[in-house]
Amino acid sequence: MYDLLCAGCGHRTAMMLLDDIIREKNLKEKVILALDVACCSLLIDYVDYDSIMCAHGRVLDVTKGYKEMRRENVVISYMGDGAAYSIGIEEMVHAARRNDDVFAIVINNGLYSMTGGQVAPTYVDVAYSGRENGINSSADDYYKEKGFKIEDIIGKFSIKYLARAALTDKENIDIAKKYISTALNKYVNVGGFNLVELLSPCPTNYKMTPKDTVNMINDKLSKVYQIGEFING
Amino acid sequence: MKKILNGNEAFAYGALAAGVDFYAGYPITPSTDVYEFFEKYGDEFGVKFVHASSEVSAANMIMGASIAGARALTVTSGCGFSLMQEAISYMAADFVPCVILNVMREGAGLGDIPRSQGDYNQMTKGGGNGDYQAIVLAASSAKDCMNLPKVAYELSEKYRNPVIVTYDSDIAHTKENVEVLERVNNDIDKLEYTLKGNETGKPKLVQNIYYHDHNYDETLKNKYELIEQNEQRYSEYDTLDAEIVFVAFSICARICVEVVKVARAKGIKVGLIVPITLYPFPKKAFENLKKCKKIVVVELNILKQMRRDVEYFTKQKYEYYSISSMSTCPTVLDVMNFIEEIR
Repeated sequence: MYDLLCAGCGHRTAMMLLDDIIREKNLKEKVILALDVACCSLLIDYVDYDSIMCAHGRVLDVTKGYKEMRRENVVISYMGDGAAYSIGIEEMVHAARRNDDVFAIVINNGLYSMTGGQVAPTYVDVAYSGRENGINSSADDYYKEKGFKIEDIIGKFSIKYLARAALTDKENIDIAKKYISTALNKYVNVGGFNLVELLSPCPTNYKMTPKDTVNMINDKLSKVYQIGEFING
Repeated sequence: MKKILNGNEAFAYGALAAGVDFYAGYPITPSTDVYEFFEKYGDEFGVKFVHASSEVSAANMIMGASIAGARALTVTSGCGFSLMQEAISYMAADFVPCVILNVMREGAGLGDIPRSQGDYNQMTKGGGNGDYQAIVLAASSAKDCMNLPKVAYELSEKYRNPVIVTYDSDIAHTKENVEVLERVNNDIDKLEYTLKGNETGKPKLVQNIYYHDHNYDETLKNKYELIEQNEQRYSEYDTLDAEIVFVAFSICARICVEVVKVARAKGIKVGLIVPITLYPFPKKAFENLKKCKKIVVVELNILKQMRRDVEYFTKQKYEYYSISSMSTCPTVLDVMNFIEEIR
């Protein structure tokens, strides 16, 4: 099979991590992978889970419906930041408000990558200033500098787990694996709303080499979107 | 057991008898009775009730529940139904069954809540993006509301396609004496295409981006051809020797049933066709007409939406007339006067 993902894409890393963790925990036969559209949906070819391609931004709705009927299954709600924080922010807020049983992975690169790198609400000027057309003209100056952060939106909600990691170097990827693993443990054993956001390189649309992209995320982006666990209840 | 129920309540009991096990919805008049029914009695009957944050969410939630094998339901009206088109289009594309009740509101936009049948085109011509059709069943009495959910779920699972049940607010809110069907529980493991986790080594996928690899084109064509051949449903009243045949559904059908009686008592040869499936359009009903010269379509919308289908499917070989208005239902006397005018 030819590779559908670009060189240096964070989706590949994220899916490999997820797959590793699922296999380590021997959960493969219970997994339902609920994918959002665009680059996320390409993963349907990389894994052999029962999978659903949801409408853009509706992953958490489909997850809710499925999980209510089959509580023993592990639904991975996998989406990009456009889906999670823009078109699907309503679904996100209310799933968190209800503390639905959710195990969500959000790939945050600040862009709509499949359509050519238009800026998403999460885009911050400082992080990607090397990019030609990277101006978040629709955002208030505050967000251009400080970022549109999920912890500011659902951080006060009664949810189980909220963390952010970066898919850059070994050190950060190990942290990501730890967070994903913690979230999955909580989801399986306790239930409730668990979300891990992953700062993810998109060299194609940043117009940088994969190495420069990783450095940019480590040096600049992760200073705006802090890495760590925000809720671990 | 018989109960005095309005159409919405009858529909809720009918859905229970059809095995509904998941309900997600958002309140909107004139459909809210069904929402309240499941909010109040869902637990008692083992139906999971979710108050969705919007109709967009509700429709996507029933998609998720249906993929898990549930007989999932959402109920809405007017603009709420428009918000569900995204998910309906997805379910049609991805072969996911579901049942949606649309209790029609008056007019476009916000519109208003009186009786109306203005959603005819939206329901029968797709409604969302792309190349698809939902099966549409129209109820004309509380009894229909009780019986149609079972038909709807069976069709949706047989063809793996969304089914819309519809009626207007007169049927929704008119109380009638109706036999209540018994609760039946659905087995969520019964369908082979339900996603349960990859236990066999071959994953099941709910998706449509790779349709060209799977003869998607042909599969879709076959699906709709089969539906159109096999699923035309209608009731007919005195059509065999009728010279004037009425076509009407929901509250207009109830008026026309009376019209047929009154006209026949006066010796006027009048008949009536009541479509039960609005899609597929019941063109077979017109093949039995022997003496018909004039067709009168009675409907509650200003664009004469159903008349266009009637003319198309009967190849324009009759004289056609309309009694149509956005929400003013004609009385039996109005229709009798109309008959005198066109005779």
